[in-house]
Amino acid sequence: MGVSKHSWKTCLKIILIALVPGLFLTGCWDSDDIEQRATVLGISIDKVDDADGADLAQITGLGNQFPKPKEGLIRLSAQIAVPGRIPLGPQTGGAGVDQNPLWVISVVGYTLDDTIAVLQQEVADRLFFGHLRTIVISEEVAKDGVKRFNDYLRRNPEIRRTAWMVVSKGEAKKFMEVAPKLERVPTLYLSAMVENAVRLGTFPEDFIGLFWTRLQSKGQDTFLPYLELKKEDNIQISGLAYFKDDRMIGRTEPVEIGLFMAVTGEKRGGYEVFVKVPDTDVKVIVRAEHRRTSIIPTLRNGKPHFVIKIHYESTIAEGAVGIDLNNAEIVRKIEEEATKGVIEGTNRLIKKMQDEQSDIFGFGEYFRAKQPAYWNKKIQTKEKWREVYKDLTFDIHCTTKIRRVGTKAK
Amino acid sequence: MEYPREITVIQATTILISTIIGVGLLALPLFAVRTADTGAPLVTLFGIAIASTGLGLITFLGIRHPRKSIILYGEDILGKWLSRVPNIVIILFFAILTGLTSREFGAVVITAILKQTPLEVTVIVMLILAALSTRNDMNVFAYIHNFYVPFILAPALIIVALSLKNANSLYLLPVVGNEPGSYLVGGLTIAALFQGSFIFTMIIPFMRHPRKAFKASIWGMVIAGGLYLLIVIATVAVFGPVEITNLLWPTLELARTTSIPGNILQRLDIVFLSVWVIAVFTTLFSSYMFTVHSISQMAGLRDHKMLSFFILPIVFVIAMIPQNILHLYDVIEIFGRLGLILTVGYPLLLVSVDLVKKKVKKSGSIKA
Repeated sequence: MGVSKHSWKTCLKIILIALVPGLFLTGCWDSDDIEQRATVLGISIDKVDDADGADLAQITGLGNQFPKPKEGLIRLSAQIAVPGRIPLGPQTGGAGVDQNPLWVISVVGYTLDDTIAVLQQEVADRLFFGHLRTIVISEEVAKDGVKRFNDYLRRNPEIRRTAWMVVSKGEAKKFMEVAPKLERVPTLYLSAMVENAVRLGTFPEDFIGLFWTRLQSKGQDTFLPYLELKKEDNIQISGLAYFKDDRMIGRTEPVEIGLFMAVTGEKRGGYEVFVKVPDTDVKVIVRAEHRRTSIIPTLRNGKPHFVIKIHYESTIAEGAVGIDLNNAEIVRKIEEEATKGVIEGTNRLIKKMQDEQSDIFGFGEYFRAKQPAYWNKKIQTKEKWREVYKDLTFDIHCTTKIRRVGTKAK
Repeated sequence: MEYPREITVIQATTILISTIIGVGLLALPLFAVRTADTGAPLVTLFGIAIASTGLGLITFLGIRHPRKSIILYGEDILGKWLSRVPNIVIILFFAILTGLTSREFGAVVITAILKQTPLEVTVIVMLILAALSTRNDMNVFAYIHNFYVPFILAPALIIVALSLKNANSLYLLPVVGNEPGSYLVGGLTIAALFQGSFIFTMIIPFMRHPRKAFKASIWGMVIAGGLYLLIVIATVAVFGPVEITNLLWPTLELARTTSIPGNILQRLDIVFLSVWVIAVFTTLFSSYMFTVHSISQMAGLRDHKMLSFFILPIVFVIAMIPQNILHLYDVIEIFGRLGLILTVGYPLLLVSVDLVKKKVKKSGSIKA
């Protein structure tokens, strides 16, 4: 008995030992060589005239069997990295400089996945979106609404939530073709542009995951950076594209981004403004270094009311001819003047957003969180909040402290 | 029974922790948010409370019958024949739980990373791994859990901590939720994710000091429940209650949104998934062990080893039954809630019968 049990066991063991490595070692279904991937680094989406769709190949649709949707046509341009040509680290030697590391291809389709299917039909290697960094959409497309793209971007597990979506002034495809000098890969420059803007304090953090969170939140509207292509293939952040639901409805001036960040309580300040020194004609430049904001949602006479307290820590970045900054009294006056400017500016910005019914500040979220009784009874939905938001009253209190004046004594 | 009684309190605690933390981690915030939007952490806490009740009852019974598991003392309390029914149901339930866990694992892997690999392969590899491991005795079982717990806890905590960079505390308010649905349903669904703790009944007889079992169950629940609660808080604070309803596996998305500062790792989902594979393995290992062990106890076998591979095909077939991922989650939710009848309700029944019996006996002895 003992012997037979033992041999049976050994036999089973041998069979298992033979089987198990087989399962693991042949498990190369997903082996994918890096040269055989078409790594997409950036995509841009433009609107196309529907007339251009007449001669579309039947790739994702076939007459009435797989009918095409009614939405307008889009043109997707993808920036695909050519394997082996993306320089890693500093350039050594002259070889390979002329070779373009990227290949930009454009295709036309109805939806995002439609265009990607068409694109795959035209590219030999499997498209890989794991390194997708930026999605540029043209202003026109943004104004038609971005919800139709979100579904695919959420559904595809390769796509990072930390990618950025940006709105371009004019044609988005141009952003795929620019050749900025600082980076070999245009998309990487583009994403460095927005990511560094966050670090410099000129734009709030707004990667696509946050964009979606704000889009979905009941008491908040979303926003994206608005970029403009300049002459030298350089790119300017020329405002903040604000949305109502998923549609872009307008954009702010660049310096208003600073005021916006003051209201939302973004800590790092990066904008510099001219401040007139009282009783003189002289203007000095004050740079915001650091902010603290508290937003207090209250009810006044039974109506939503907000108290916004902003505190600035600033430095004087540039003085001017005819003013002696070696005087605490003058600095105090500059502080007062800067404060006044901030209050006026934020007031105007909030009023403008109220007229546009775009709550990019997320006041509704404060209200939902901190005044739940009122919210649950009277508001509940995003639409209703927009109506309340339109007539919202608010007080802005601001203080400015200029702590430093740089290394000049006067 | 002449078991070697060598499991320490710490080992018992780690067994509980790594058994509880498992496949349910990924969808947990979604379940919580569905019932109570911003009240998700509170629902989770409620779920933990229900689960703790179940574990408390099991521990209480275990201490009263320190040499037996629920299969055997069930026989003592209800009688040999009557207890057959719940025992068979328990074994079936844990076989199904093992199957569903491995299937959920396969579904995540095929969706998120290994898209070309057949689902059957990922499932069977995991099951074979668990089956092989169950051929060891209870001490090795404890060692394996003990060994893996730090690898599960540490990365999960690091991911939660790093993710808080993008958190917004407004999404956690009001604490009870704006439109709270049924806390009871949500709490039950979440409590179902803690069902693995039921296997504690199998551990107590092997403990060196079964009297200290309560200590292990409290710490196990606090640590595993604490981690679950932290993950719910972090995901809700990062994504907001509404966006989470768009995400099938919010916890995975949390790892994807999180990066280690300084561009060392731009997304942590790969780290998270490798941790999670271990967590799933330990959970699977426990429920598989429990199934095999219980069958052998019920049948009065001295050794459970030969059963390990015997039930493998059954578990595998169960894993393959759900038609698609949506069907899978429906089945998991329904089974999870029904399972609570077994893992909380049945112990409750046993405790009451046991206490009544004791009273009757006492009064009987006084009379005599």
